[in-house]
Amino acid sequence: MDTGLQPGTCNVQQHLSRRSLLKGTVLTAGGMAVANWGALTHSQTIAAEAKRTGKRCIMLYMEGGASQSDTFDMKLGRPTAGPFRSIKTNVNGIEVCEYLPKIAKHADKLAIIRSMKTKSVDHGIGGYHMHTCYPSNEKFPHAEIGAMIAKYCDNPESDLPSFIKMGVLACSAGSGYLGPQYEPFSVATDGTLPSFANPNVPQDVQDRRGELLKFMEEQHAKEHRARPFASHREAELRTIRLMRARKAFDVADEWNKARERYGNTQFGRGCFTAVKLVEAGVPFVEIGQDGWDSHNDNFPVHKANMSVLDPAWASMLHDLQDRGLLQDTLVVWTSEFGRTPAINGQGGRDHFGRAWTVVLAGGGIKGGQTYGASNQDGFEVEDKPVDEGAYFATIYKTMGVDHRAVHYLGARPIWATPEGSKPIPELIG
Amino acid sequence: MNDFASAKVLHTLPWNSAYITSLAFIGNDQVAAANKKGDILVWNLAVPEGKTPDPVRRLVGHTNEINRILITPDGKTLISASSDHTVKYWDALSDQGEPGSVVLNDGFLPKGVTEKVDKVPPPPAPVEVKVIVQKPIRDLTNHAEWVLGLTQTPDGKTLVTGDDQGVIIVWDLPAGKELRRWQATQWISSLGVSPDGKTVAASQHTPFIRFKQGLEAFVPHFHFWDVESGTSKLDLSKEIPQGMSTVVYSPDGKWLAAAHGNVQTEKDQGKIMLLDPATGKKVRELAGHPVGTNDLAFHPDGKHLFSCGRDQQIKIWNLEDGKLVRDFGKFADRGVWIGAISISPDGRLLAAADRAGQILIYLLTT
Repeated sequence: MDTGLQPGTCNVQQHLSRRSLLKGTVLTAGGMAVANWGALTHSQTIAAEAKRTGKRCIMLYMEGGASQSDTFDMKLGRPTAGPFRSIKTNVNGIEVCEYLPKIAKHADKLAIIRSMKTKSVDHGIGGYHMHTCYPSNEKFPHAEIGAMIAKYCDNPESDLPSFIKMGVLACSAGSGYLGPQYEPFSVATDGTLPSFANPNVPQDVQDRRGELLKFMEEQHAKEHRARPFASHREAELRTIRLMRARKAFDVADEWNKARERYGNTQFGRGCFTAVKLVEAGVPFVEIGQDGWDSHNDNFPVHKANMSVLDPAWASMLHDLQDRGLLQDTLVVWTSEFGRTPAINGQGGRDHFGRAWTVVLAGGGIKGGQTYGASNQDGFEVEDKPVDEGAYFATIYKTMGVDHRAVHYLGARPIWATPEGSKPIPELIG
Repeated sequence: MNDFASAKVLHTLPWNSAYITSLAFIGNDQVAAANKKGDILVWNLAVPEGKTPDPVRRLVGHTNEINRILITPDGKTLISASSDHTVKYWDALSDQGEPGSVVLNDGFLPKGVTEKVDKVPPPPAPVEVKVIVQKPIRDLTNHAEWVLGLTQTPDGKTLVTGDDQGVIIVWDLPAGKELRRWQATQWISSLGVSPDGKTVAASQHTPFIRFKQGLEAFVPHFHFWDVESGTSKLDLSKEIPQGMSTVVYSPDGKWLAAAHGNVQTEKDQGKIMLLDPATGKKVRELAGHPVGTNDLAFHPDGKHLFSCGRDQQIKIWNLEDGKLVRDFGKFADRGVWIGAISISPDGRLLAAADRAGQILIYLLTT
């Protein structure tokens, strides 16, 4: 099978350790990747090349586009202001929306970038751009940030998937040129596994089935020397191992105690599960919160959404810190774009990329600061514009990933971030 | 039967400062309007023919959006509910106050304000009008969040308010004293009180753009609450599974009307339900306004219901057969809505506020 992978990327025909071989992508008989189960092709060579940082990343993705003017860059007293007030945070001089009272108590951990200036201001293209660092119109299979971090930050000894998406619909680029082994493993917003992941037969029966399948496929492979059969067999074994590791997703008992703090929502449970997953060693988890596309009724819609976001995000930061994980876990709050400063005839705000806000916290980030600024009504960046390249480069830098890492698709080189992209040193602690 | 065929626009009152959210007639010749900046203006409509009325009073005190206003049945008090967490009483008839002014065009038209627009359009030369500035005569501060629901009994004795924390408060209206409160589960998007004061009909809806799995705690509810005990005596959540923008009893107590549309609806929604106030049973379903019905008003003739919506239309419905009598306005499925309506006590005038900065006064009957 032609993987399309070239020097600089992992190639299954390279030498494989048995353990790394067991960490395979589920492939269909035809070889199509259907899920990420880890790093099938983490060869020893690649493992040595890759910088194993021990870093983790949780990305909170506000699907539809959250309004900067109503969250972290309020324009009180200006014509573009809405009905929300600001409140003080635990950092002098930083104020946030009154409906983020819990996150306000963690402002010392936050780096609030108020000067995002991005180019793709519709959902499909914006979701793609803010997940891959590249515009979708290049017609190139770029890799999502989750796949990149999975590649460079995964622990090859872990049974768990390396790139997990919870309820995220904004981008389906997946692993792109990095190959199917880094495809996202998608679960529901609350982090629960699909029902098929819960075997209804005892473990010994499951093991015997696996052995039988292995025997049958080995016999078949002797006569049909093609890799899909081996991959298929390993995928089955990998599945069995995931079954053993699935407890990391099973937070039901602990959730009963945590849900009052996180909010009894799927998003809240997803954030709680994400803490458990990074604790278990998963390098990248993305959680989607849908419903921010407020072309109508922006203010009640944002107030309702913040009532879900605030307790979940704040409790996540608290628990990461409490468990000693925050210093190595980058938490990103982002969207595909922001929303117009001006309010339209439906009481809504529309898509806006010229001056908006993302927030970074935790591992490698110097918290307790705002970075950049929009102008007085929020229509333009006034200070320190941040484009997609700088944003991604900063994230990669904090994760210990070379933001100019080069990979190849065929003979064509592609870099993790476009030429000229540089991390923002002021944000990195 | 009045078919309102001769209805026509009598006055156009410009007020382009912020969206006008609620209207109320004070007697038959004054109209009050409240907006999202927290201002209330009062116009005297009794002007010589051909002259456009100017506002005469400005009621100042709210510090955030005003969501609802009403006039007590005796016409003496205007009551307002706001996102500044307060309910305020105002002397509706007094002409006393401090001399002041109001700029009628300090807002901006939202038209065209999109990604490609660099800044808020510069305001035109200010149109400043001298007014009497008045302050509230009473503040009710018992709510902790946005007060969205506001209604009263026809005898003027009971006031009911509801907020987005799900708190419903019943007040002795003349005294401004809280009598009892109870806790619902979600935002009180709108409520009405039965003419006998015994039942509160309330729509609960937390305005997520759409209901999603995982938000089961936020499923919309509609209940009849017993005012004495503060308990639910009828759960109509299955019959009315959406958020209502307006819930209003007809003054004669024959009808309870509920309009779908406190947030944007699908194009085939925004319907108006006419319920039996005793049983909660749906008697009629009116087509309403696609993408959302914003406000309702029963005509004093007891035979007609007026509605307005996000389709930029005002519609008149025959209560007996549920048929559309006529409509005003220009249909559009997205644009500047008609956000609020009010009918004068004598049934002669209709006030309608759009979101493009004007209030239209219709003469309904000659």
